[in-house]
Amino acid sequence: MDRRDFLKSSALLGCALAAGEGLAQAAAPGDAPQSPYQGYKPEGMIFSACQQCNTQCGIKVKIENGNVVKIDGNPLSPWTLTPQIPYKTSMAEAALMDAPLCPKGYAGIQTLYDPYRIVKVLKRAGKRGENKWKAIPFEQAVAEVVEGGDLFGEGKVDGLKDILTCRDPKISDALKKDATEVANKKMTLADFKAKHAENLKYLIDPDHPDFGVKNNQFCLNWGRLKGGRSEFVRRFTEFSGGSYNYHGHTTVCQGSLYFSCKAMSDQFEEGKFTGGSKFYWQADTGNAEFIFFVGANPFEANYGPPLRASKISQLTADGVKIAVADPRCSKTAARAWKWLPVRPEGIGALSQAMIRWIIENKRFDARYLANANQAAAKADKEPTWTQACWLVKLSPEGKPTVFLRGSDLGMEAQKRTTKDGKSEWSFDPFIAISDKGEPVLFDPNDDKAVVEGQVLYSGDLGGIPVKTALQVYADEANSKSFDEWCKLAGVDSADVAEIAREFTSHGKRAVCDLHRGVSQHTSGFQNVVSWMLVNVLIGNHDYMGGLSKATTFTHDGSREGQPFNLTKHPAKMPGWGISIIRHGTSYGKSSLFTGYPAKRVWYPFASDVYQEVIPSAGDMYPYQLKCLLLYMGTPVYSLPAGHALAAILADPKKIPLFITSDITVGETSIYADYVFPDLTYLERWEFVGSHPSMAPKVGAFRQPAAKPMTETCTVYGQQMPINFEALLLGLAEKLKLSGFGDDAFGKGLHLKHQDDMYIRMVANLAFGDKADGTEKLPPASKEDMEVFLKARAHLPPTVFDAKRWEALVGPELWPSVVTILNKGGRFQEYAQAYKDGQLANKYGKMVGIYFDNLFKAKDSITGKPYLPFAGFVPGPLDVAGKPLPDAKDGYDLTLITYKAITQTKSRTAGNYWLQAPYPENFVEVSAADAARMGLKDGDPVRVLSASNPEGVWDLGPLGKKPVVGKVKVLEGLRPGVVSFSLGHGHWAYGAGAWEIDGKKITPDARRGTGIHANAAMRLDPVLKNTGLVDKIGASAVFYQSPVKLVKA
Amino acid sequence: MSGSLPMEDPLVRMYRELKRALAKDQSQVKWAMVIDQAKCIGCHACAVACASENRLGPGVVYRPVMEEETGTYPNVGRRFLPRPCMQCENPPCVSVCPVTATWKNAQGVTVIDYTRCIGCRYCLAACPYGARCSDFGGFYTSRTPQEPGLIQGRYAARAYEQQNAPEYAKSWGQRGKGSPVGNARKCHFCLHRLEVGQLPSCVTSCVGRATYFGDRTDPGSLVSELMGSPRAHTLKAELGTRPNVHYLA
Repeated sequence: MDRRDFLKSSALLGCALAAGEGLAQAAAPGDAPQSPYQGYKPEGMIFSACQQCNTQCGIKVKIENGNVVKIDGNPLSPWTLTPQIPYKTSMAEAALMDAPLCPKGYAGIQTLYDPYRIVKVLKRAGKRGENKWKAIPFEQAVAEVVEGGDLFGEGKVDGLKDILTCRDPKISDALKKDATEVANKKMTLADFKAKHAENLKYLIDPDHPDFGVKNNQFCLNWGRLKGGRSEFVRRFTEFSGGSYNYHGHTTVCQGSLYFSCKAMSDQFEEGKFTGGSKFYWQADTGNAEFIFFVGANPFEANYGPPLRASKISQLTADGVKIAVADPRCSKTAARAWKWLPVRPEGIGALSQAMIRWIIENKRFDARYLANANQAAAKADKEPTWTQACWLVKLSPEGKPTVFLRGSDLGMEAQKRTTKDGKSEWSFDPFIAISDKGEPVLFDPNDDKAVVEGQVLYSGDLGGIPVKTALQVYADEANSKSFDEWCKLAGVDSADVAEIAREFTSHGKRAVCDLHRGVSQHTSGFQNVVSWMLVNVLIGNHDYMGGLSKATTFTHDGSREGQPFNLTKHPAKMPGWGISIIRHGTSYGKSSLFTGYPAKRVWYPFASDVYQEVIPSAGDMYPYQLKCLLLYMGTPVYSLPAGHALAAILADPKKIPLFITSDITVGETSIYADYVFPDLTYLERWEFVGSHPSMAPKVGAFRQPAAKPMTETCTVYGQQMPINFEALLLGLAEKLKLSGFGDDAFGKGLHLKHQDDMYIRMVANLAFGDKADGTEKLPPASKEDMEVFLKARAHLPPTVFDAKRWEALVGPELWPSVVTILNKGGRFQEYAQAYKDGQLANKYGKMVGIYFDNLFKAKDSITGKPYLPFAGFVPGPLDVAGKPLPDAKDGYDLTLITYKAITQTKSRTAGNYWLQAPYPENFVEVSAADAARMGLKDGDPVRVLSASNPEGVWDLGPLGKKPVVGKVKVLEGLRPGVVSFSLGHGHWAYGAGAWEIDGKKITPDARRGTGIHANAAMRLDPVLKNTGLVDKIGASAVFYQSPVKLVKA
Repeated sequence: MSGSLPMEDPLVRMYRELKRALAKDQSQVKWAMVIDQAKCIGCHACAVACASENRLGPGVVYRPVMEEETGTYPNVGRRFLPRPCMQCENPPCVSVCPVTATWKNAQGVTVIDYTRCIGCRYCLAACPYGARCSDFGGFYTSRTPQEPGLIQGRYAARAYEQQNAPEYAKSWGQRGKGSPVGNARKCHFCLHRLEVGQLPSCVTSCVGRATYFGDRTDPGSLVSELMGSPRAHTLKAELGTRPNVHYLA
């Protein structure tokens, strides 16, 4: 049959499920025996969202006798089926049809029912890192954290009340404004001090007002955080707590992928390139005619299974080709038409080879690339446009600098009024060269006057040497021969040519899909942009089978007409100052500037720089952190060279108060002063967002499905299970923070319980994004209402109370809220996500490929401008830009990592079902290297690097753990590369000795099998306490550590 | 350029076909499975979903997935082989049972009566596919600590594995108190799910859509279609066991 027949699609789908009797009816014939099996009844399941990895698939949590007995996939969710079943499908049919999840999804029961979960607050009873604890009441823990004092018999520790001192937004604002004036040298420090004499006490350092208020010495850092909790975090830390230090973990995942795409999505607004989103593009996986997965393994990771893996499997079965560039023959590569075993360092050379081949063979979309502005794109019915034909000025040495502007040709800038109507800005036009060779001036946002230009052009305008942006790329790609690039990449040039030909043989339905293997390099930014440029050459953004982006319904109520605006706050503090990770700001403009190099790297183009938080606090640069609250994160385990962080955390003088929120005591929590127990994803709320490859618009969430397993506490007079929200609410109550408690969201709208925020967020989703209410979901029927209540009969009132919930949203919205709660979210129908060969949910803007902002900024270490385009930058480099000398010292192998489908980095070691297929991981060595070194399967080897020549995890009080694992010899691994999968080799998380109230908790050896070799990853030789980094996109480097193996 | 969209997920089609099969005289239905090895992505979701659906204790696996690397660098492949019970037409496991606790049911599924099985393990030895296991009655949470009030502990954590699954649509009660503990166990195509209109758990968990299931007497079914493929074969065909699980090479 023809699976891909578009014309029949919607009609047949309707038939399949709606016509005649429903599946459920047919399913239970009258004469069926009395089976005890319950797993198909809607009243026995709650539709929610997985979080065993970050894909966040739709799940149905099946309950029997109040316990979770099975988790299956939600067929209404586009995460699990392609296309998913229609949203209007009855609950009985949706309950009957189970959809696929990955193995971790099924094993989630073992995350919920993990014997090693903590249920009470733990306070350390020994030195940091000894893993000895005392269980204390929640109220006592909250009081101690707020009040401080001699908490551990080691001297006085400042509590949050001593840190979050400035509570008046007016004072904070006034200090911020004038601190900026001082930084801009418009006010002297003396004048500042005189003007703010009374309030200098609020500043971290009155001699450096740009550090901001003392509140910044509290930092909230998180690992995995999604919507809902993210609003809680920002409200607590910034809006109420006044600290600018709230930072995520992005850079340990794929920072340079996010921040490259952020730069590429900057638009020209009122004279500046700005406003880009922290996001990225992925393939519209199910509809491509060719996909080149570059440093990506969607069968095991990268939001692949089940979301994308099922689509790829179906594509390849239908004869669609995929190619994979990866030093390892991953499971995805094993199904590919071509596997390119690229050198890890060669991933950027491979993109140059592709660019060169495509330009040289004129296989690019010249019509698309010629469009200089929005009007030109519109005329061609193109949703996006680029800067390919924009002219760039060259330096006397011929290096590209910034865009050529009208003023360069002696034209006067045009005065325009700003969007807010309050001021003026100068419009200085950009310039392209017409077909006739004439310069044409244009505004990129002009949607009326069509401007096109030559895409490949070099010349001289009014004495200024210029090139088009695409010519800059062409010249870079032409700086080496095609064969030379392929040799640098370590791959066969005939293969690359075939891939490039295939890539350019499907119009816009071909795509390069990239992930961590591209971004987690010292040249991550250039790598990502160069690969995205390969996509730009065929103009596949917003096309079916091209590049797509995530689109979601708004849950925070910030859209006009939505029922509950949860961004409202009675006294919102502005977070300001230089953050502990020095993001979004420049060294050269700070009061710390004393010439280059800076002590540590500054990150003007990135945020959420995970690997900077603890090492910067260790160096007290730019200031000391007095309290770090870490939520669902484990930087010691997850970050490259995490052992360096352990050393900092073990010393209470560096960060005097360290609190974590965790479900057990993991490798980072062992250094905490307090560990607050959290609920697992099956017991709590979160709004899960979406993924770039998800074409339909979605609004999904997880909700309490299992009974909460932690103890109950009372905050603001409300009973609730101890979890992350209870912790923040408890601290807010004790600190008397505004924006919590009474009238937090406006008159009569309190925030005293998690429901006060989350049920209203659900109501916003049920209402939809349209102010006129036309997107409001249909009300639940009487049967649906019964299903809703019965399915939640096992939940205690601390997390579920139908009356309380209804009262929060009001009787009018409540039936629609029940509809969305029953279905686990709202999901646009698959067919509606596409129109005329394009995506319905478009990016629809300029795709930037050349970056003035980079050229105008200065690298905080070298003092030089950043490279303003994606040229080839060899690696690995230290932060000073020097190549590492390790190879000549015998560290001649490159260590890489990957994710096996059975583990999610740090947090699935307690899922015993997942150990059946893959009980331990290995030090994977290529057959050629194994033969050379005399290694065979099972041989124990130690992994050493120049920055860890001993090959150990130095765990302070817990001693030294050797970085030793068993060898596995593979043909499917590039010689010269050593690999291990992440998720094994634990020493905490129930794998090692710990003690609560003097009782020894028996460890479980199953949780500590295999090797965790992050400690062998290379420390940056300049920074010394941080792994290698990309200074633009801020990625932590996972694929460039030179190592050697010795028999253990 | 208009392009075409995927029309229907294969799982949705198989659910529809299952409904059709259940509406038939059940003695006329013959269940069959087809596993497309080219589509298997080696994710092991089926193995884990099955363990969860059937509450399999440690050491009991109905559907392992074998992995193998083939070729030499750089011409390397990886092969994945999910291996459920083959539900043979001539099952060697049945004839060796001294207490007739195992037989083929009307739809071709080899079943076990846990109340009759004596745990002698003859059938384990007789199966050429290694598809049967003994259930020694353990728990995944065995040997984990029980420190009530300090951590969640073993007993609270055991909630999900305490009860036996309603295999063969029967209540088996708590593990450790009678069947199926101490017995031979094997894949039964999730008969308890089929009966209510649900596909077997290994089918609904198949991320790669490599596992197909249906009534092979229905010429319009996906499994019938695929069994006619030139790629179709069975494992160890030379033994004459005539499996009802077919593979596409």
